[in-house]
Amino acid sequence: MSAKTENLVKAFGGLVVVWIIGLVIAEGITAVALRHWPLIGSVQAQITADATTYLIWQAVAIYVLVGGTIVYSVIRFRARPGDMGPPAFQRRYWTPFVVFWLGMSIAINMANTIYPGMVGLEQLWGIQLQAKHPLVVDVTAQQWKWTFSYPKQGITDVSQLVVPRGETIDFVLRTKDVEHDFWVPAWGVKKDVIPNEVRHLYITPTVLGSTKTNPMIRVQCSLICGNGHPMMRAPVQVLTKAAFKTWVSNNSF
Amino acid sequence: MATTDVQGRAVAGTGGGAPFTWSMVLPMVRAGLFGFTGYFGAAWITAMLAHTVIVNPLPATIGYLVGLLGWVMGSGIWDGWIRRAFGGEESPSLTGVERYFRFSSDPKATAVRYIFFNITAFLFAGLAAMAIRIELLTPDSTGWWLSEVHYNQTFGIHGLMMLLAVAASAIVGGMGYYLLPMMLGARTVIFPRLLGLSWWLLPPAAVAVFMSPLIGGFQTGWWGYPPLAQNSGAGIVFYTLGAATLLTSSVLGGINIIGTIVYMRAKGMSLGRIPMFVWGLFAAGTILIVEAPATFTGTLMDLSDMILGSHFYTGPTGHPLAYDDQFWWLFHPEVYVFVLPAFALWLEILPTAAQRPVFARNWGIAGILGITMIGAMVGVHHYFTAVSAERMPIFMTITETISIPSGFVFLSALGTLWGARLKLSSPALLCLMAMMNFLIGGLTGIFNADVPADLQLHNTYWVIGHFHYTILGSVIFSWLAGLYWWFPKATGRMVNEFWAKFHAWWFFIFFNMTFLPMFVLGIEGMNRRIAVYLPYLHPLNEFVSISSFFLGAGFLIPLANLLISWRSGKKAPQNPWGSKSLEWHSPSPTPYIVFPEGSDVTVVGPNDNYAAGAPEPFVWAPTTAGK
Repeated sequence: MSAKTENLVKAFGGLVVVWIIGLVIAEGITAVALRHWPLIGSVQAQITADATTYLIWQAVAIYVLVGGTIVYSVIRFRARPGDMGPPAFQRRYWTPFVVFWLGMSIAINMANTIYPGMVGLEQLWGIQLQAKHPLVVDVTAQQWKWTFSYPKQGITDVSQLVVPRGETIDFVLRTKDVEHDFWVPAWGVKKDVIPNEVRHLYITPTVLGSTKTNPMIRVQCSLICGNGHPMMRAPVQVLTKAAFKTWVSNNSF
Repeated sequence: MATTDVQGRAVAGTGGGAPFTWSMVLPMVRAGLFGFTGYFGAAWITAMLAHTVIVNPLPATIGYLVGLLGWVMGSGIWDGWIRRAFGGEESPSLTGVERYFRFSSDPKATAVRYIFFNITAFLFAGLAAMAIRIELLTPDSTGWWLSEVHYNQTFGIHGLMMLLAVAASAIVGGMGYYLLPMMLGARTVIFPRLLGLSWWLLPPAAVAVFMSPLIGGFQTGWWGYPPLAQNSGAGIVFYTLGAATLLTSSVLGGINIIGTIVYMRAKGMSLGRIPMFVWGLFAAGTILIVEAPATFTGTLMDLSDMILGSHFYTGPTGHPLAYDDQFWWLFHPEVYVFVLPAFALWLEILPTAAQRPVFARNWGIAGILGITMIGAMVGVHHYFTAVSAERMPIFMTITETISIPSGFVFLSALGTLWGARLKLSSPALLCLMAMMNFLIGGLTGIFNADVPADLQLHNTYWVIGHFHYTILGSVIFSWLAGLYWWFPKATGRMVNEFWAKFHAWWFFIFFNMTFLPMFVLGIEGMNRRIAVYLPYLHPLNEFVSISSFFLGAGFLIPLANLLISWRSGKKAPQNPWGSKSLEWHSPSPTPYIVFPEGSDVTVVGPNDNYAAGAPEPFVWAPTTAGK
């Protein structure tokens, strides 16, 4: 009645081979793909991109190990034609596997919470705490445009964001109407702008450029705010400190 | 408590009655007529009294409520239920074809109506998705297609309908309500009329949401965040009321699930022997009862801000973030309402296909229930970019923890497949594909749980990719698996296996081609909910759009397969898959009375023992209760 007993240890050996080949191929592809990572334009973007790339390495590995096991089992343990009876292997439980799985899933989780989770947050908060005299930029969001003011420099209501490289900037975010979200993709972090509230976002740009040279350097509203939402962008320019000084003196009054 | 008075009066053992005639559809027509006139009558009167026009928020609200009442009463709830409360005579229970077209206390008829409703809503909301992808073929505003206004309305409707009119009830409603009593050895659910009512709440809500552009639409997407909700079109009225109605319907179902599991199990159906699928339903029901009220109250408060000026979330004293808290209170766990029955479905179908018992069954159940519990505490990860720094580590930690119980489900499934003799039928194939997709959906979710990564990826196409992998890639694959698996149970015929497998591969390939590039789009800085994007994102968007057209067109295959197989499919034996589950103990198609009177079942063993010569888990004996 029952089919012939399968050598499950031998089957596991085959699975290990599948895992190794799969990991080499998949992580190899990942290594090539990650070389094409888009522009990382700030200290904060480096932190969030490190978190993302670390998790990509890990996700690809887990996908190969678990997904590979599914595919391998389906092929290896398929019912051949005429193979009507149930398999001899009818165990409901195998403690080493369950304990290993439980241990690994808890360990990976705790590890992920510490790195990149808490470590990344500490780094982001650390930059904020260390910035004693940041450059303050007031950002006002409204349907559907951004305006920027530099209170200490005496520049008000400009429609393009100009910032110096290598200096931590305190963006003070306010909205005149609905919720918006201040996001410069190249700078790697975003913050919602909530009515009746003032929010702060600290960013330290590290790469010179402008929206013209790389579209990742743009202000983009990232929270649905109505009809004009997709067009709620503003151009950005990251200048050297000297060039920024010149820009300030040309634009302040 | 195995039979109710309704069933006592019914003809025993027959599914028959008169053959179908068009006059049987009249209650549905009457419901539509009452609903339509109720809506327009009430909206017009309100508009006249308020000196406004009927498309304004207040008349639309009153019209919706009266229309809903008219529809529900017209469906047969008045003569089949309410009239008795006023001293009148209750109409007799109908046991033939007519019960499918009117309010009915038969859970099977209700479940079949759910399936028709879910498929219809899926096709319409799917067309909305196609409209979205056509717009995104080109980076600029596509003049000949949708304006930005229409685009925003379209994705809002697509999102809300796919979630609440499809995913929320696809597996729980269509399969769950059909199988729940059968799998437990009961003859009906605990509150059959309440379950009947739950279906009749769906169509008016869905019609209102689909028609919302007629009164101005809504721009908020399916979130309805204030204060945008209050100032971007009167259609938000139909959004808030539609969402509240659909969630109320889900709660009525949830009450039935929990009540039936607690009180109506057959003798010997101990907690350890409840089928896996029922554990998935139990999880969904628990989540709905505990968490849905906070959220549909939230959408109604959102509406109240608009029509009554109550300033819960808007104005100088209102706090918009309070809405986010209430909204995600259910709407994160709601994804577990969708996916936990799907997980449970895998652990129901795979053991039969593999001819092995569920591996580490208790850990699988612990996984499903663990997600239910932890899932209640993680909603904040949907708005990490809006909350204070203190909330971030707390909700990051809790959210990441949820992958531990999710892993248990994979532990059980992998252990079941290992050493199997897998018969790869189309339902089993779809379950395995759903597992592969959920693996990607789950692993990409870790990025959104991890605050540093999420601060960049939040609200980008990464998120779109992630949740389509979990919902379309897992729940809808599993839904199709369940439809094919229990199709012989409901119709007595088999679906065409070749076309079922052909479409499974079609679906799997084009699904991955559509949604895998979205992760790249997210990393490259494409934010969600935009009709217009920058040209550097164009090539990949074009690829996604064209893949999605193949994906969408492919759904005509299962539609035709189900319809044709229903008419002229191969006759199914009583237990075509060789399952040991209790629902296959009744004939197929299921008669009105599932298990004949005079004989009751006792559960004497686990229902997943596929070993050669294993004893039958169910023993039928003459009824002794009540004698």
